[in-house]
Amino acid sequence: MATRTLNPAASQSPLLGAVLTLLGFAVLVYFIASWWNHSNPASSGQKLLIGVGFLLGALGVARVANYLSRVKTNPLVGFIPAGLTLLLVVSTIEALLRAYQVPAGLIPTPTRVLATLWEVREVLLKDAAQTVLLEALVGYLIGCSLGVLMALLVSRFVFLERGLLPYATAFSSIPIVALAPVLVKMIGLDWPSKAVIVAVTVFFPVVVNTFRGLTEVSPLSLELMRSYAASEAQGYRWLRLPNALPFIFNALKLGTTLAMIGAIVGEFFGADGKGLGFRIQIEAGRFGFDIVWSAIIIASIVGIAWYNLVTWLERQFTGWHVSFRE
Amino acid sequence: MTRNLVPMLVVALVVVALYYPLMLLANVPVAQQALDNGAALECKTTVACASSLRSPVLPAPMQLWTGFRSLVLPLTAPTSILPNAWATAGNTLLGLLLATLVGIFFAIGIVASRAFERSLLPWVVASQTVPIIALAPMLVVVLGQYGVQGALPKAIIAAFVAFFPITIGVAKGLRSPDPLALELMKTYNASDQQTYLKLRFPASVPYLFTAFKVAITAALIGAIVAEISTVGFQQGLGRMLFENSRASDVVSIWVIMLSSALLGILLVALVGWVERWVTPWQRAR
Repeated sequence: MATRTLNPAASQSPLLGAVLTLLGFAVLVYFIASWWNHSNPASSGQKLLIGVGFLLGALGVARVANYLSRVKTNPLVGFIPAGLTLLLVVSTIEALLRAYQVPAGLIPTPTRVLATLWEVREVLLKDAAQTVLLEALVGYLIGCSLGVLMALLVSRFVFLERGLLPYATAFSSIPIVALAPVLVKMIGLDWPSKAVIVAVTVFFPVVVNTFRGLTEVSPLSLELMRSYAASEAQGYRWLRLPNALPFIFNALKLGTTLAMIGAIVGEFFGADGKGLGFRIQIEAGRFGFDIVWSAIIIASIVGIAWYNLVTWLERQFTGWHVSFRE
Repeated sequence: MTRNLVPMLVVALVVVALYYPLMLLANVPVAQQALDNGAALECKTTVACASSLRSPVLPAPMQLWTGFRSLVLPLTAPTSILPNAWATAGNTLLGLLLATLVGIFFAIGIVASRAFERSLLPWVVASQTVPIIALAPMLVVVLGQYGVQGALPKAIIAAFVAFFPITIGVAKGLRSPDPLALELMKTYNASDQQTYLKLRFPASVPYLFTAFKVAITAALIGAIVAEISTVGFQQGLGRMLFENSRASDVVSIWVIMLSSALLGILLVALVGWVERWVTPWQRAR
């Protein structure tokens, strides 16, 4: 208690923050509701009102965040400030778009996007199944397994390490998009071409990371394995692979993003009529931006979920690692 | 580096030696089919046809060479590779500059304020699990509507893709000074501003360059995708890729792909070179 009163910031109650946040949201929601059916731009006083609402909300969220960063909480509560920030930004954008009467064909309001998302959900879900399950996931699994295999080979044979690894590093500085049209022309418009693009994209980071994990083993542990007269296979099974797991998972996490990007960009160069990238390309061309945003929301949700799934797997497999200790 | 030379050459030789048979293997069925259909070709045997197909599965070395020459010469023609690669490099570097400004801003925010970190960092991280590239086709159109044209929209998209590694790198760098050095600044009664200028920023420069190497590849990808989506007659490798892909000019796509690969490697090398020049004290390591 004594230390708390010494620090003036810590004694701030979160109550004021919560009140400010609520006030800000109330102002924004009031404006949006009152402007729901208007088709003329708002007056400058009303625009000022939006600014005030946003500022109040921002100040409030900052206070809440400040308070929550001082007390120990579970991750769900710790997420509150981030969630509030998103809500605040989205409602401010909604209010601004309505105040300036930006044509919906140019920047659709968030509520309109959500409505569209619900309307076209069946088409988009089919697109997502094509892009995610067939292209991204298949490519990801193939690319990652080949990458780990290659890293095992490269770490086992010094010749390969010296001959192949420099190329792998050079390859990682190549813009993968440039590969997409070539592969689409080579393999065809159907989903396998995109799966190959994804596999190539995730392959190199996996090789480089796994190799580092397999070789950056403490010399002491190597000596210990030797003194146990462990065979090479045992060395890999009990020392090198466990050591590489955190590195592999890092690459796997990186790969989730790369896989989604690879699949979507691959579809920009030709698809057989479905897929999120195809939908985005087509609809952006005819100003159907509410559908584009809906597709992006779906892609984002999939991307975030996939990333978190891999993070969860990482915890299951490498829970012993230093980075998870409290 | 020198001890890698022999194995690297051997691997390169193996790839070159394998390429021709692989090319034949991939192209012969297509060539055979074309011959069987009685298509008017200038070649007689299947093998000769396989190495001169109009849209080969794998282009023959000679085709690549002719394609390369026709795309590179004349050097400064608007449809040849050099001016287009130059435009793409410009978009990429402009994007990297924007990304650096935004990245440093976010990094300072993260290091200086817990509240900022709590409320924005999750979204900065989430923005990376989102295929940002998907925004490119739309951003180009929307920015164009508001009169943002030329290199800027492409640079903005490149920056959008590239700011994350820079943010994380600089934040790490700003936190990297030794606690002792921070204490020393405190004993000198240095203001926050002075601590940043004299201690934290210099300490973050090596981290910035490590981040640049990742970010510039990302920015290049962003720039190329943005060029693909650009409406109009602007130059860039992405534009060339898209047009030749539309025209099904397979050999040209291959040549452009190889050129963009080369551009990527050159840009990373450029960053490395600037790094050695800016942070000479790192060279000793």
